[in-house]
Amino acid sequence: MLSLRIAARFLRSSPGQSALIISGIAVGIATQIFVGSLITSLQADLLDAAVGSSPHITLRASDGATISTYFAEDAEAMEPRISTAIAVRTFSAIYASGGESVPLAVTGADAADLDSIYGLSERITTGSYRLGADEALVGARFSETYDIEAGDALEVLLPDGQRADYEIAGVFDLGQGTANERFAFVGATTAAGALGMNDDECSAIQVQLTDPFDSAEVAPVLGEAFGVESLDWQAENEELLSGLAAQSGSSIMIQIFVLVAVALGIASTLAISAVQKTRQIGILKAIGMGDSAAGRIFLWQAALLGAGGTLGGIGLGYGLIWGFSLAPVPFSIRPEPTFIAISAAIGVSVALASSVIPARSTSRLDPIEVIQSG
Amino acid sequence: MADLLVVDAIEKTYGEGDTATRALKGVSFTVAEGEFASIVGQSGSGKSTLLNLIGLLDTPTSGQVLFGGKNTTTLGRKGRARVRNEGLGFVFQFHYLLPEFSVWENLTMPAQIAGRTVTGEERDRALQTLTLLGLEGLEHKNANQLSGGQKQRVAIGRALMNRPRLILADEPTGNLDTANTAVVYELFRTINAEIGTTFLIVTHDRAVAQQTDRILEVRDGELVQDVRNDYVAADT
Repeated sequence: MLSLRIAARFLRSSPGQSALIISGIAVGIATQIFVGSLITSLQADLLDAAVGSSPHITLRASDGATISTYFAEDAEAMEPRISTAIAVRTFSAIYASGGESVPLAVTGADAADLDSIYGLSERITTGSYRLGADEALVGARFSETYDIEAGDALEVLLPDGQRADYEIAGVFDLGQGTANERFAFVGATTAAGALGMNDDECSAIQVQLTDPFDSAEVAPVLGEAFGVESLDWQAENEELLSGLAAQSGSSIMIQIFVLVAVALGIASTLAISAVQKTRQIGILKAIGMGDSAAGRIFLWQAALLGAGGTLGGIGLGYGLIWGFSLAPVPFSIRPEPTFIAISAAIGVSVALASSVIPARSTSRLDPIEVIQSG
Repeated sequence: MADLLVVDAIEKTYGEGDTATRALKGVSFTVAEGEFASIVGQSGSGKSTLLNLIGLLDTPTSGQVLFGGKNTTTLGRKGRARVRNEGLGFVFQFHYLLPEFSVWENLTMPAQIAGRTVTGEERDRALQTLTLLGLEGLEHKNANQLSGGQKQRVAIGRALMNRPRLILADEPTGNLDTANTAVVYELFRTINAEIGTTFLIVTHDRAVAQQTDRILEVRDGELVQDVRNDYVAADT
């Protein structure tokens, strides 16, 4: 540990220089943490808005026939990546307002099942979340456009040409304009009545996964297992995915350039330090210090600078995230402990890698070069 | 007394071809354990080169150096570093203290390099060395806060720390005034007498050499005299 003590003493002997390089590393790591967390949180928000309250996979018969409601339980049992699978009955209905006919996409299922996919109970703006017999939930924009509120009657034309009268139990806001204008939800029994289905029949199975990006793998497996058509959200949102990928690429590029700048900063500082301390290293070697121990002095210096800078960077990164939370923006940055731990490990590793050249030149130094130069 | 050091036909040539310079031309001599000897010569005579080769700071072009009966010429960098740490002590014209460290840390650095913790007997020995050198009370001072004479005494203490069998001193008083020069040589004599450490002192000053028991004179890379002190004293 003598090399460590000497390294620490060398750093303390040049406090200004040490503070500058630690600050440089800290700024680099803080930038990495802030930019990384910002992009990650932004993507998580976008993803949540896009598919957080909708099914990731939909299973349905390709000919429009009914399928068994038991498929939902079977799917959950066979695939551990499924967080929830529910049987739904879907149909189109027409709402007539004045001279205008408004199409509604109605989804029927048990209230608890619908809540597990759409999170409706937390998205009710007026009224309450319940789906009793002949009760319906409508979207906020529909409610506003047609001046219909909770407690009002909703008369619609069903696919078979019959009329149905529902009572609006509540108004929801799913955060998407189309959904808020065109979606409506009814109870499982109400939907079965509208479609003339038995208790064990449904239109589709809607599935949510723990990780939405697993849908491309899981969808074909489920489709094949149940002999039905499987629709994957990723296949229907290619533009969104392309945008997210581009965003990730930009984020990684920024972080790489920041790390390269940090590495160059540390390497140049250590190279200067190695030159400054050549005399001391020569003396230590003259009195018996080995090549590897001498080289380790600069590895330790890099490790100390890297650790100090990384700790400072984490603090500064959290400070920036906290500062961002005070800004009037529509989303918040959530620091990911795993990402921060990876950033810290990268920071220290980059510092260590930057010390290889000065450590090698130090280990090769001959004491006679110092003694002869006086 | 047994030979501690055997210098056998060592040569040192710097450069190659037309620019080659022969700094040493087949120098041979032996030094017995406990001797107090000096190497004299004009500037550029090759005496410091000779000391650097004996001190394993440099490698000879040919010939060999035996220390404690072992051929050091064949040792690798690691082996030479170990011999420098455990068997040899160096005192140079410049003190070469580490300015970032205290007197105590500088003094005990060879022991720390050897991997020993400075406690118990090791600590007692370091304290005795401080007393011997008249540096009591200065151990916590930074090396930069000392006078030139004090710095050189710390350097001598550092050379003594691992109780080496041979101390090599290259113009050790070259930067000191007359009073400090006398103090340093008196210390060398005391250490030689009390601890039995062998001394080989390089100097260009015959007056300094006359204070040693044996004088080896190097001229143009060759050993031209190897005599007892009284002979040189009478000659000059």
